[in-house]
Order: sequence, then structure tokens, then C-alpha cells
Amino acid sequence: MADFATKKIGAPDFNPEKYVKELSQRCVGGQELQQQRQKIQTLADETNILLKKNVYQNYMQFIETAKEISHLESEMYQLSHMLTEQRSLLSSLAATSLLGDKIPSAVDSDGATGNSGEGEEQKEEEESRRKLAAILEKVEGCVTLLETSGRTILHEGDLLELDPIENSALQRVHAYLFSDGFMIASWIPNRRGPVRYKFEAMYELGSLAVVNVRDMSSVKTAFKLLAFPDTRVFQCTNNQSKKEWLDKFEQAKKARFVQEQQKRESASQIERSPSRPSHSDSLESPSNPFEDADDSNAESELPEWLMEVPEDLDVCIAQRHFEEAYNLLERAREFLDKNTATDPVITDIRRKVEARVRALTEVLMKELEVSPDKSLQGGLRAARRAVRLLNQLGRSTQACDLFLKLCSSILKTQLKRVKREGATVLYVQQIGGIFFSNLTDMTREFLRAFPHSPSCASAFVMWAGSELTHLTSHLIKQVFMPQSSITMLAECVTCVRNQCDQLSELGVDLRYQLDGLLRTPLTRALRDAREKLVDAVKLRAVEDKWHPMNLQSKAGLTKFLQEMSDIGIASIHTYVTGDCWLGLTSNTVAFSKLYLMLLDDCLRLATPELQYTVDDVLSDVFQAQMLHVEASCSSEKYKAESQFIQKNAAFLLDTLLTLAEHCYEEKIGNPCAQLSKLRDKYSHLKKIVASRSLIVQL
Amino acid sequence: MSKKPNQQPALHKVIMVGSGGVGKSALTLQFMYDEFVEDYEPTKADSYRKKVVLDGEEVQIDILDTAGQEDYAAIRDNYFRSGEGFLCVFSITEDESFQATQEFRDQILRVKNDENIPFLLVGNKSDLDEKRKVSLTDANARAQQWGVPYVETSAKTRDNVDKILCRQC
Repeated sequence: MADFATKKIGAPDFNPEKYVKELSQRCVGGQELQQQRQKIQTLADETNILLKKNVYQNYMQFIETAKEISHLESEMYQLSHMLTEQRSLLSSLAATSLLGDKIPSAVDSDGATGNSGEGEEQKEEEESRRKLAAILEKVEGCVTLLETSGRTILHEGDLLELDPIENSALQRVHAYLFSDGFMIASWIPNRRGPVRYKFEAMYELGSLAVVNVRDMSSVKTAFKLLAFPDTRVFQCTNNQSKKEWLDKFEQAKKARFVQEQQKRESASQIERSPSRPSHSDSLESPSNPFEDADDSNAESELPEWLMEVPEDLDVCIAQRHFEEAYNLLERAREFLDKNTATDPVITDIRRKVEARVRALTEVLMKELEVSPDKSLQGGLRAARRAVRLLNQLGRSTQACDLFLKLCSSILKTQLKRVKREGATVLYVQQIGGIFFSNLTDMTREFLRAFPHSPSCASAFVMWAGSELTHLTSHLIKQVFMPQSSITMLAECVTCVRNQCDQLSELGVDLRYQLDGLLRTPLTRALRDAREKLVDAVKLRAVEDKWHPMNLQSKAGLTKFLQEMSDIGIASIHTYVTGDCWLGLTSNTVAFSKLYLMLLDDCLRLATPELQYTVDDVLSDVFQAQMLHVEASCSSEKYKAESQFIQKNAAFLLDTLLTLAEHCYEEKIGNPCAQLSKLRDKYSHLKKIVASRSLIVQL
Repeated sequence: MSKKPNQQPALHKVIMVGSGGVGKSALTLQFMYDEFVEDYEPTKADSYRKKVVLDGEEVQIDILDTAGQEDYAAIRDNYFRSGEGFLCVFSITEDESFQATQEFRDQILRVKNDENIPFLLVGNKSDLDEKRKVSLTDANARAQQWGVPYVETSAKTRDNVDKILCRQC
């Protein structure tokens, strides 16, 4: 009948008027109609419950999805961080393998990808300068070698100079071929120290005629240099070395010719369009109002301050006037950017200035570095200045890295100060408080230092995550021990969670991660608690004689009633009989207290991930008690007490379980399916009581 | 350097100039090693030295075989400065090479600053008479205008090869 009604009502073409008409036709008398009404009522109730369930299910799904999304987001952050790291690693790797030399520090990859080529060129230039400097040390009297910019060494070797007419040997020389010239240096006979050769002559490559001397009986493997008025013949040790020399000469000449041709072409271009300044192609803003003035200045003479920039910078850095140094640097750079002329003086200054930039960067990075002998007294505030300047120098990645390292060590020292004494809860509260308040400060400081830098932000998220993992693993070790009670755990976890939630004000939500980290140990702890409580229930069950509880005195009774109403069971006074007797066993009362405590702890710990475990624990413990009741009910031993037993069962199911369900729903937001299942399962114990008591009353 | 100045015979520095591919190297190699090299490979700059007996006296000839094409004028000038006598070679089968001789003459005179420098106008490849583009009259006229001798040679048949070189000394 009910099914039939459901079908009818649920049909898409359901017409309530028609249905009511049909019913009224069929039913006779008020009682039958009443019955029908009740049926429809139950139908409505069922539908209501179903609806609630559906909403609940969707709600859970929604929460899970949201969690999943936040998890995904943090993973994306991690991914982005890893990519950034990989990129910087790759770029440094590329630079390293190209030159076989360690680069001082990678240029910030943040939006500066175009710099890599430039950097490489610079590296090459540096490398060649290094080589030239090495030659300077070996050869006496060629200090001017470094003055020409762009000069590189192409070849060098020992040669034997011959007399151009008689072909007799004259002297041993060491020769260097540069990109723009050929240098001959003679051996120093009694050499001391690193100087081995003495500068003799330098020939411009553009006017040096190199002639291959064909092998003859008297002279073999030689070549001749015609540089009016000199004619010099040099003998190589073997054919291969001669071939190498001649090839290198040819290459150098060709390269130089191409270079000069380009220069000539660009020069003629400028001649064709004289209105265009020679360096405008490298200027960022052609409408610079200072351009013209600077042009005329640069040609004639450089401002005095520019000449002194390198020295001034040294002074500033040494005196730790970093801001001043940075301002000076910026000014010099601005000026140099406008002057792209290849004047050797400017080139020299540019090179020196770049060296100072590196020096400044290094000093600032040192400033931020964590070392055991450095005091962390100033905290993060002290790091502000260095971080800001490094940011301005375009080294945010390094700055961020060092900043976070600094944060780590500050955190570590702060946490170390917390001594474990007294209650665990206090300890956790203290350590969590320090951790999260520091983290809050650091987050604020970080947001202030790196406001618009996604790669730094991802690094920070990674860092915060790892610090949290660190702390959690420490806490787990300290707090989650087999003997620690679930109440204490609940206290600790709630405390840490609350502190963690404060961070989300700043946009850093670590709660999900925290819950994730605590999930496994909490699950284990909850299961342990369940085992313990079930054992306790069984143990008390054995001792249960099913006697009413005696509270000894009136005062005892009052105190007891107060106690029970405090934990939420005020209705227990209905069970009082006489002056100090209670119509329940002490076992039931003890279990009620215990169960409500467990419920409180579980609800405090519950998160959607732990829901399942919590439900299990709550229902298993309750079931253990009910099993005892059921066993006693059917036991022959307590036949006489059966009414009393059923009264207890009724209390457990009606008062305690209802209260538990109510608390559960209030806290979690939805009813607990397992608990209501329990109620259905054991309601027969109560029903007997109801019928019996009815009989008794009758 | 000048310890034994008389032991070495006199040294004569001769320079081969002319456009690329006219046979400067072929003439030089024929003179040096009595052989004709058919394969053409542009010369960069080679120097040779050979002892010859001239009028009963042993002398050394230093030949600088220059590149037909030289990018740097300054380097070309350095070649010319080192020379004492010049063989200005063109190919009788190629008028352009003949026209280029004027330029070489001008450059050499500018560098050496001496109208009477030993200089010889050489028309090479005389064995290829059927492909002649430069007439004997034109060549002679130019030589006369410069006041220098004109000789036609063949590096292939060694015609007049010794003559031009010994005449330079």
C-alpha cells in the first residue's frame, strides 16, 4: 500500500486533488482517513530524510572538491617552484659547460631571459681578459696589452728567429698571435719569478705581410714577416706547427677584415643618415631629453664623477653605505647605457662598474647568509635592507633563497629555546604559538620584501610547507605516544589548528597540510583509544551485577546530579528513587560519563578525512556497551533483573545516544549514520521495557 | 749579422705581381723546379730562394710570389717595399689582367717612389696564342710608355722563363 502510494505520488502526472478525491471515496469513516493521513505523513518524513541525505552527500562532495582544489593549488605552486629551480640550474649548467669555468652567480632569471646571451659574451670577454692578464705576468714590458678592448689571444708558441739574408739562427722567441696583432717576445736568459719573456715587438695585423717560405736545403719550416722596414724570418719546429701558424694568421686576418668591413658599413650608414645618433639603436627611449647634451659631452670629455665612480663605489661598499653605493651604481649605469660608444675609457669604466655590481651583490648576500657565529638578534628586520637592495639589483631569487634560510634558522633557534617541562598540552601550546607567530611575522615580512614575484611566492609556500612538516613531525614524536590520552591529543591538536588558522588571514592556508600530516597518527590514536575503551567496557561488564546505584547520602545525590547535568544529562533526576538511590547501574553511569568525554574529544578532532574513523570509534564503543546489555538481557543469571536491565538500556539508547547524536549533528553539521543505525539495531531492548512497563502500569 | 758578409753571394729580391690566375706561381715553380703545375690553387704568399750563375758570378734570387688578391692595402705595400725588382705578370688570354697591370705599376711606384726601379712587363701563357685577347702591339705600347721591357712567356713550355728572371738581376 505504501509502495503503491509512493509510486502514485512520485508519478510525474500526480494530481493531488484527484488523489485526495480517490482516497475520500475509498475510505470510510474518520479512522481510516486518519490512517491514510499517517501513511502520507510517514511518506513525507521519509522523503524529507532522503532529501537531507542527498543534500548532505552533495555537501560532502563539495567540501572534498574544495579540498582537492586547494591541494592541487599547492601542488601547482610546488611544481612552479621546481620549474624555476630547474631553469636556473640549467642556465648555470649551460654557462658552466661552455666555458669550463664556474660562473660567479647566475643572473636573476626573473624576466631577464634576454640577458643570458649578454652574460655569456661577458663571460667570454672575462675569460679572454684573464688569459691576457696571465700573459702580462709572463712577459715583461707589455702593460698596454689590456688597454685594447676585445683583444683575444688566438695562438702562441716558441719560434726560432733566423737571419733573413743568411738564414742563420738568431734567437729563440716566444710569439703570441692576438685578434689584432702579432707580438714577439724574447727569452730572458736569467729569469727570476714568473716573468719569462721580454717584450720585443708588436705588429699590427692589418699591415703585416706573412709569407710562407718554401722549404729549401738550408731552411725548412719557416715563414717570413714583412713589416717595413723589418723583414723577419721565423722557423717553426715542424711542418705541422708552421701550418698551424699560417692558418691562424689567415683566420685572424679574415676575421679582422670582416669586422672592419662591418664597421665601415655601419659608418657609411651613419654618414647617409646623419640625423640619427650613432648609438640610438641601443637607446631605450629615443625621446630622452638629455640625449643631445650627453652626446656632445661624451665626445669631448667624461664627467669627473664618472671617472671616480669605481673608487667611490669601493669606498661605499667598504663603509657599508649600501644604499649610496646602489644609487651611485644606478647613476653610472644610466650614464653608461646612454653612451654606447666604444671609447676605451668608457669600456674600462663599464667593466669596473660591473665588477663593483658583483662585489656589492656578494657583500649583500654575505650579509644575509646564515652562519653559526652570527647573531640573529636583529631578526628579519635586520635583513630588510640587504633584501631590498638585492631586489633592486635584480637578484630576487637569491635574496628570497637567503631570506628563507634565515627564517629557517631563526625559527630553529626560537623553537630550541622551548623546554619541555610540565604538561604536554602547555608545551605544544607554547611551541605552536612560537612557530605560528614567527611564521606570521615572516609571512608579513616576506610579503613586504617580495610583493610581486610569483616565483618567490612559490618558494615561500614550499618553504612554509617544509617548515610545517618539520614541526609536525617533531610534535608527533613528542605527543603521539601510546600512553597519551585522546583528551590530551584533542587538546593539543585543537590548539595547533587554531594557531594555524590565524595564518590564513595573510593568505597562507596551511591547515589542509597540517590535517594531512596529522591524519595518520590521529587515526592510529583514535583506533588505540577505541581498543582501550572497548576493553574497559568489557572489563566493567564482567563486574556488573545489575544493582541500582547507591549514592550514600542526600548531599552525594545532589552533587551527582549536578555533575551529570554539567555533562549534559540533566534528565537523570527522573531515575532517582528514594533519598539516595538511582535507578541505573553505576556501570551505566560510568559509561555515560566516559562516552560523553570520548564524544567530545572525537568531535574536536574530527575533520572530513577523519570522519570515517571517528564514526567507527563512536559506534564501536557504544556497541560494546550494548552488547553487554543484550547479553545480560538474554542471560538466565539476570532473569530477575531483566526489567532493571531494560531500564538501563532505555537510558542508554534514549538519553545517552540521543544526546550524542545531537552533539554530533551540532558539531559536524549532519547526523551520524552509524549511531542511528545502532539505535535501530538495539531498539528492541528498549521496546520490551516499554511493553513491560506498560504491563506493570496496567 | 754582418760577421761574414762576403761568404754569401749577392741576394736579389724579385717580386711577382699581377692579377689572380695569370700564372705567377706557375712561372716561379717552373723557374725553381723545372716543372709545370697544371692545378690552380690561389697563392697566399710564398717565398723561394735559388742560387744561379749569372755572368760567371753566383747570385741568389729571392722570389716573393704574392697573392693576386690581397684585402689589405697596407700588407700589399709591405710586399712591394721588400722588393728590389718586379715582374708584373698578366695573361695574354685575359684583357682584364692586362688592364690591372696599370694599377700594380702605380702602386709600386707610389710605394718605392722610384721611376727607374727594375720592372718587367710579362705577358704569360704565350702557348695559348689562339686564345689571345691582348695584342702584342698593345702590350708593347704600354711597356714603352712605362719605359720597361716587355717579354712574352709560357710557364708551360718554359719559354723565356729564365730570361725574365735573369734579366731582373
